[in-house]
Amino acid sequence: MTGAETGRLREITRRTALGALGAGIVGATVASWPRLSGTDIPGRGDNSLSIAIMGTAADAAARQRAIDAFTRLHPDIRVKVQAIQAVDWKDFFTKILTMVAAGTPPDVVYVATEGAQLFADKLAHPLDEYLRRDAADMAEFFDDVHPSLVEAFMYKGSLFQLPMDWNAANMYYNTTAFAQAGLERPADDWTHVDFRNSLGAMRKVRPSDFTPYYWTNRLFGGVVPWLYANDTSFLKETRSTGGDWLWDSFYANDPSRNLRSGGYQWLEPNADDPRVFETFDYLRGLVKDGLGVRPEEGGGSSLVGLFASNRIGTTPAGGYWVQGLHEAGMKENDYDVAFFPKWRSQRHQFGTAGYAIMKTAKDKDAAWEWIKFSASREAMELIFPNPGTTPARRSMVNEALYAGKGPAHWKVFYDTLDKYPTTGPIPAPPQQAAVETALMKNVSLAVSGDERQLKQALESMQRDLELALRRQS
Amino acid sequence: MSTTTPRRNRPKQAAKAPKPATTATAHTASGRHSQRWLAWIFLAPTILGMGLFTLVPIAASVVLAFFRWDIISAPTFVGFDNFAEVVQDPTVRVSFLNTIAFVVVAVALQLGLALALAVMVQEKMPAWLRTFFRSAFFFPLILSAASVSIFMRYLFNEQFGVVNWFLSLAGIPAVPWLTTPGGSAAVVILVYVWQNFGFSFLLFIGGLASIPVETYEAASLDGATGWRKHIYVTLPLLSPTTLLASVMAIISALQVFDQPYVLTRGGPGDSTRTAVMVIFESAFQRLEFGEASAIGVILTLIIMAITAAQFRLSKRFVFYQ
Repeated sequence: MTGAETGRLREITRRTALGALGAGIVGATVASWPRLSGTDIPGRGDNSLSIAIMGTAADAAARQRAIDAFTRLHPDIRVKVQAIQAVDWKDFFTKILTMVAAGTPPDVVYVATEGAQLFADKLAHPLDEYLRRDAADMAEFFDDVHPSLVEAFMYKGSLFQLPMDWNAANMYYNTTAFAQAGLERPADDWTHVDFRNSLGAMRKVRPSDFTPYYWTNRLFGGVVPWLYANDTSFLKETRSTGGDWLWDSFYANDPSRNLRSGGYQWLEPNADDPRVFETFDYLRGLVKDGLGVRPEEGGGSSLVGLFASNRIGTTPAGGYWVQGLHEAGMKENDYDVAFFPKWRSQRHQFGTAGYAIMKTAKDKDAAWEWIKFSASREAMELIFPNPGTTPARRSMVNEALYAGKGPAHWKVFYDTLDKYPTTGPIPAPPQQAAVETALMKNVSLAVSGDERQLKQALESMQRDLELALRRQS
Repeated sequence: MSTTTPRRNRPKQAAKAPKPATTATAHTASGRHSQRWLAWIFLAPTILGMGLFTLVPIAASVVLAFFRWDIISAPTFVGFDNFAEVVQDPTVRVSFLNTIAFVVVAVALQLGLALALAVMVQEKMPAWLRTFFRSAFFFPLILSAASVSIFMRYLFNEQFGVVNWFLSLAGIPAVPWLTTPGGSAAVVILVYVWQNFGFSFLLFIGGLASIPVETYEAASLDGATGWRKHIYVTLPLLSPTTLLASVMAIISALQVFDQPYVLTRGGPGDSTRTAVMVIFESAFQRLEFGEASAIGVILTLIIMAITAAQFRLSKRFVFYQ
């Protein structure tokens, strides 16, 4: 190489630049080995008990009161609650999984039925040992909580969560719309035919700018309560063995003891069941005759406002609606709630939620203390100061909770479990996200066209469910 | 000592003569050497940033496509199984076909609308109105796609939406915009185009401004008027801008996610499910990161192939002044 060549300012050639990029990649990979994670960020890797809940800053006050009460009881355990904002539970679980992938999993997560088996199968630690150890302390909790709620958190014979709050899909109705149509309050055992007749009566009186039946395309409150009422479901439901230790310890004298199991299992699709077709055909008829809406996927965010504006006659929802309707300006006598209509059965659908300890939790004993505290009457009163949900404790679902807000027949909420003990949880196997997608994507098509389109949609649902259940199983 | 230099010594002196020059070169070389290092120092943050945040994830994603991984358990090498599953999955196939159909319609509308409005604004509007329209058409682009889609969801609600309310004034019955395959696809395209055409519009405005007025004057002298001027002058001279706008629009449309996810969640059925939605669902809802990566790799290859084809075709259709 000549001196002149050496002296020339060498341009950065593409080869050099690519070499540098390659070196950058290797350097970055080497530098990040062993894997850097979110805990390496200063301030994140402390020893606090990290608790993730679905919520917003708006719930902060009630939350802080509960944390303060817990800290008074356990001054040695530092608690850090992360309220994670999400559109729905699926969205919330996605965010938790992202935290797991980032290496910053919380120690305790508030999980609803939709994700209970996903967590039990892959992420959560069973509570069995703690319940056996503290059986005497926990007896009072189980005395106050319906076993159906507890069974929803049993998975393969072990209990993974304690139910804190829950909601069944009952039927809300607008009392003014009912009165205008000359309808009385529905009987407890009203049927799907009575229901349809009521919708027809309301439609006759208010032919426009009014929807007699508004429903959404979701796992909770969509088509599933109708399937349950018709004694079927889109997944075949079976039960695991085991769990007798829990039932014998805490529910030995419960009249529904013999119904209890080691947990629900949804292993096979059932969309080809003639009763599923019959149920969808009934809903298709409501849509076709202008009595019910064609449900949007994931809709429901505007439902409280629409119901409060007196433009909806009936809709399925749970006790969690009461506070929202009150805040939207509905008076306690403007609406009421009834049991879901009867078909072949009057089995209702419910969803519940509670804390799960993560397998990766640093201090599982501390996590259990948080769960035990949260299940106490004192904590629940702090966390659920208003009817924004239905507390799992029967004793808390009382007149005081609904005073001035309604509905008049608030007893329907807990009676759903007491009167219909076969009432079941949202069908949510570990592959819940894929199963939910498979259901939701076919519902609109099933109820929007002719009989041929309904058959095609159910065939498609069956195929999609087979695929969904095969995944990760 | 003689002050005269013997003749025979001259070559030596001559040889010595360049010495100061050599020193200067050495100085320059040293200066350039340090300049080179300085260049590397300035480039280092970009190179490291690109390496760490772009190339490492791309490489990791390609590697992950050959593994089964659910975040929780250790990854398992599965060879080409993920690709085989993806190819056989009817939902993935439909989502790719939807994406391609979406790109064809949305990009054609986006570019057509942007070009038509750019020509109209540039030629027919006074300067102050031009400024207003530039800002107005660009405004939707700075809004969050998710917020716009939530808002549009209310507008297009079958029972209580404003759109159907206006249609009802004209005696048109309520249209099930978001609950039928055709209606939902139309709304997704409409919302996407409304939000994105402003960028292409600005590109076209810039392109139109760079066309010399003399070219139009010459065309006028040759007898070209109205549309003929646009067909024979504007379109050819705007072709470099059109290439740029179309490449960017196609790449962006191939990655559409926010609008269909918020408006329809991909439904009804799979009618508005797109390739990126399937990647999201596979990874973050079904915990199949390997499969999601495989879909991502396939989508990247498709984007690269389409872009390469565009540049190859551009040699025949693009005219540089």
